[in-house]
Amino acid sequence: MSNKKILIVEDDHDVRLGYHIRLKANGYDTFFAADSLSCIMEARKHQPDLIILDLGLPGGDGFVVMERLKANMYLSVVPVIVVTARDPHSNRERALKAGARAFLQKPVDNDELLGVIRKCLGETSESNLQPEHKDA
Amino acid sequence: MHVLLIEDNPGDVRLLHQMLQEPGSLKAELIHFGCLSDALNHLSAATANVILLDLGLPDAVGLAAVRQVHAIAPDIPLVVLTGLDDEALAAEALQEGAQDYLIKGQIESHALLRALRYAIERQRMQVETDQVRKLQLQLKDEFLSHVSHELRSPLTAIYQFGTILSDELAGAVSTDQRECLQVILRNVSQLQSMIGDLLEVTRAQEGKLSIDLQCTSVVDAIAYTIKTVQGTAKAKGIVLSFDAASQLPFAYADPTRLRQILIILLDNALKFTDAEGLVTVRVQLFAKNPNLLLIEVEDNGCGIRADSTERIFERLSQGTDNGQAGRKGLGLGLYICKELVERHGGTIWVKTSPRGSLFSLTLPVFSLAHLLAPILKNEEWPSDAVALVTVEFRSPNGWPSREIREEFSRDTRGLLVRCLLPDLDVLLPRMADNGVGELFHIVAFADQNGVAVLTKRIREQFHRLKQARDSGLTFSTSYKLLARPTANISISSEELSAEMASTIEGFIKLEGLARASSHE
Repeated sequence: MSNKKILIVEDDHDVRLGYHIRLKANGYDTFFAADSLSCIMEARKHQPDLIILDLGLPGGDGFVVMERLKANMYLSVVPVIVVTARDPHSNRERALKAGARAFLQKPVDNDELLGVIRKCLGETSESNLQPEHKDA
Repeated sequence: MHVLLIEDNPGDVRLLHQMLQEPGSLKAELIHFGCLSDALNHLSAATANVILLDLGLPDAVGLAAVRQVHAIAPDIPLVVLTGLDDEALAAEALQEGAQDYLIKGQIESHALLRALRYAIERQRMQVETDQVRKLQLQLKDEFLSHVSHELRSPLTAIYQFGTILSDELAGAVSTDQRECLQVILRNVSQLQSMIGDLLEVTRAQEGKLSIDLQCTSVVDAIAYTIKTVQGTAKAKGIVLSFDAASQLPFAYADPTRLRQILIILLDNALKFTDAEGLVTVRVQLFAKNPNLLLIEVEDNGCGIRADSTERIFERLSQGTDNGQAGRKGLGLGLYICKELVERHGGTIWVKTSPRGSLFSLTLPVFSLAHLLAPILKNEEWPSDAVALVTVEFRSPNGWPSREIREEFSRDTRGLLVRCLLPDLDVLLPRMADNGVGELFHIVAFADQNGVAVLTKRIREQFHRLKQARDSGLTFSTSYKLLARPTANISISSEELSAEMASTIEGFIKLEGLARASSHE
């Protein structure tokens, strides 16, 4: 089976490279976009399995990107994980409403990020999807 | 100039009236009330340039009168009138917000006018200063919030590449190098929590710390927190122990915030305790008030200097460095802690000695009876019945993440509240974790017809939620009519709500058991 493809949308060059090394080591292929316009172009070109999206982007922020993804028949089903330095207090709810599957704040723990990616890609076994606690 | 005089002695009223009419005086218009309640009524609709308040009114005496006036009209300068033998009281009135005081029998018209003018002028300056300070605070908060966001990106890169090296994604690392990397990463996480604290403090000052009160297990929260900090404790050789009384009731608290409070206290205890030390967490019912839970975090570390225990919960306050404790962070943790505990309706305090510190905090016990009491006091029930409505959402494919599930739960509560009649229906808080489905319980003071209307309203609201449907969520409502508590004069309203609460609790428990067994 070929590797799953992840599009990384992030305007900070170093952070982008950091994602790339970490995700490659975990068996994912990565593509990049540094602004909202090239994000849509890259997404159409590579048809990623998942998108990691920063909110603060040049040329229209992450919310604009999510709107445009939703408008595209193929891209609307691609899970989006928002990873941002912005305040979760005022952005988490908005991002999840806009269609993001998860909202993570920078710096995000590697295990947490990989865990969320696996869940969104349906790579975890069914049992892990059950809630952690069950009523006695 | 409008002078509002609150004075019950007709002789004094006449005297003051004359003084304000004297030639050379500023054009003062006197409005007079003989008791405080009339004056407060007037103030709630109208205003005045200055208030003259007697401290011996028929319906309010002394500082209580000052406080009441100040609460209704904080921006109107206040001058109090008092007898010769009460100058000490007058001095206290100044601390409660009065601008000046006049002693009856010693007032003459020039002094009166001057006192009024000064009072007005001083008040104006105070208001201005307050505004400037508010603006400065706001600017500072905006700045802090901006800075903390900007710091996160470079910190992210440092974390990413530090872990890339230590996980050997960029080649083998020697033992010495790995140790160096551990130091880098430890400092990254310290910096990260400081940045988080900056934002929390900003929010605390804006009164924006969000609290989502629900039925919460304190024992679970403590167990979770201990697991989180266990690594740090082990590394320092500190023993962490946990001691919970049996059969503890749930707290009415925000579970995330509770964990945050506990993490701050435990981090703090670990920081100030030497190797081989002992940190203990205890929880029990508060002996002085069974409606509160008492949580204690005790360490046998270096303690806090007695003169700083008062200030330790203030912003930017830090324990004095005894040399061995190392860095202290920003000194914001305990401030955040205090804000959070108080937002829950609890209190926090500390006892300390050179042999260690004991932090104690209280949180309200969750009580259905307290939630129901205001409704039961409502005397105009439209019907004889009470219904327990259960709304259930199920996600057949499981929930994508705990976070998303909690988000959904919060949104749903928001929507449900819109379907309710605020003085007749109560949406119960989330009752711990409820298995595969998200359950919401509503106590509705309605009969069968009323329930039908309510469930229809709820269904309509949720059918609009396209997103919920797309994600495969299924939704159902059910209800059970409960016997209306007998309106019996011999039963107090407390007993009534306690009785109702236990009936409902019993039913919810049964329902939960039935669900749990059907899912296994």
